[in-house]
Amino acid sequence: MIELTTPFSEEDIAKLRVGDVVSISGYIYTGRDAVLPKIVKHAEEGTLSEVGVDLRGQVIFHTAVSPAGVGPTSSNKLEIESSFEPLSRHGIKMHLGKGAIKPETVKALAENNAVFAVIPPVTALLESQTEEREVVCYPELGMEALHRIKVNKYQAIIAAAQGESIYK
Amino acid sequence: MTDIEEKVCDCLVRAGSTFREDQKEAYRKAIAREPGTSSCWVMQQVLDNALVAEKNRGPLCDDTGIPHIFIEVGPNRQVSGDILAQIHAGIEAGLRKLPGRPMAIMGDDYHRIDQSGGLNPDSGALAPSPILIKPVEEDVLRLTVLMLGGGPAIRGITQRVFHKHSVQVVIDEIVARAIPAVSQLGCSPCTLAVGIGRSQFEATSMMMEAMAKGNYNVQSEFEQTITNRVNESNVGALGLGGKTSVLATFAKVGPQRASGVRIVALRPCCCFEPRRATVEL
Repeated sequence: MIELTTPFSEEDIAKLRVGDVVSISGYIYTGRDAVLPKIVKHAEEGTLSEVGVDLRGQVIFHTAVSPAGVGPTSSNKLEIESSFEPLSRHGIKMHLGKGAIKPETVKALAENNAVFAVIPPVTALLESQTEEREVVCYPELGMEALHRIKVNKYQAIIAAAQGESIYK
Repeated sequence: MTDIEEKVCDCLVRAGSTFREDQKEAYRKAIAREPGTSSCWVMQQVLDNALVAEKNRGPLCDDTGIPHIFIEVGPNRQVSGDILAQIHAGIEAGLRKLPGRPMAIMGDDYHRIDQSGGLNPDSGALAPSPILIKPVEEDVLRLTVLMLGGGPAIRGITQRVFHKHSVQVVIDEIVARAIPAVSQLGCSPCTLAVGIGRSQFEATSMMMEAMAKGNYNVQSEFEQTITNRVNESNVGALGLGGKTSVLATFAKVGPQRASGVRIVALRPCCCFEPRRATVEL
């Protein structure tokens, strides 16, 4: 088990390999289909600070945040997977979700020293490991707004790193 | 709350938060079959999650699902409009208590289709699906709550099979449809729910009954054959590869038409499903 605390350094990520099980602690972002295209737009336009977001060394967890808790949605949905490359280019180091991603996405992650980690949909366990949650921007999206949550030892498995993928 | 409302409320919470014993045992056996693998790690996490959810009486998954109700009615029991109203009230209370993820889309037909009417923030506002009622010989009024998530609904298929007067042809087609469905679902290991009938409605009703009554310890040859063949695909837990893509198959074969076609409903239930609980009213 590799212990990681956000924000991640370039060295933290460079040493990760496919199949590694990691334990993630610290503040991370959450977002999915509805909000990620908006965050990509802010990143490309250089306006992230206007919505209170700093992606450097960060994790984006593909989940809603609702009274029922958190749990990964499929990361290969169009709006989510298309966010991997631009968000990695602007500082995201780990995309956290589930499902197979395309070879071109695996390549884009490697080019930006970022990884994709798969987290089982274990909402009850994750609830006991989630200490804080707050809306960062786009509150009108409700549970799909960009949230920042503080997590304690979320376990995940590295599914894409260094140009390799766990999905054949 | 009335007695029926309380029973239905509690039943829904159990359905959304609790693995049955046969389900836990199915996981323990699967974990023992492939120790030390990524798939093993995932399945242990799923089982640990179930134990925590049961203890806390909280959701197994953040997609808490849409309530589907299956009622068995004995010869001397009745389901009146008043009882149905109490069942609906119990569902509403259960969704608030679990708590269910707020998923009720507001607005008219167009607003609900494109989701432009917004979400109702009340977990209890989520309407259950139409209720399935079946007469049984046992003198009971028994209700089963199933909480059906969105991922399996995306990957489920209800379609005809030209059987060519061969069970093997039907099994081959079910396996051919199931493998990509399980692979694309993401949340494996699955339990395959299968219903075979004369129409889309009947096949889906059979599939519902299979989910309501299936037991991991009781597998017919038909069910075991499908499970074994899908497991040859090596999809594994969360698609990470491994021997256990499917824990079991729950199948129900209904009356059939004098025809060359069978309607087959197939749902790749996710790693928590069928999330169900039963109560006698």
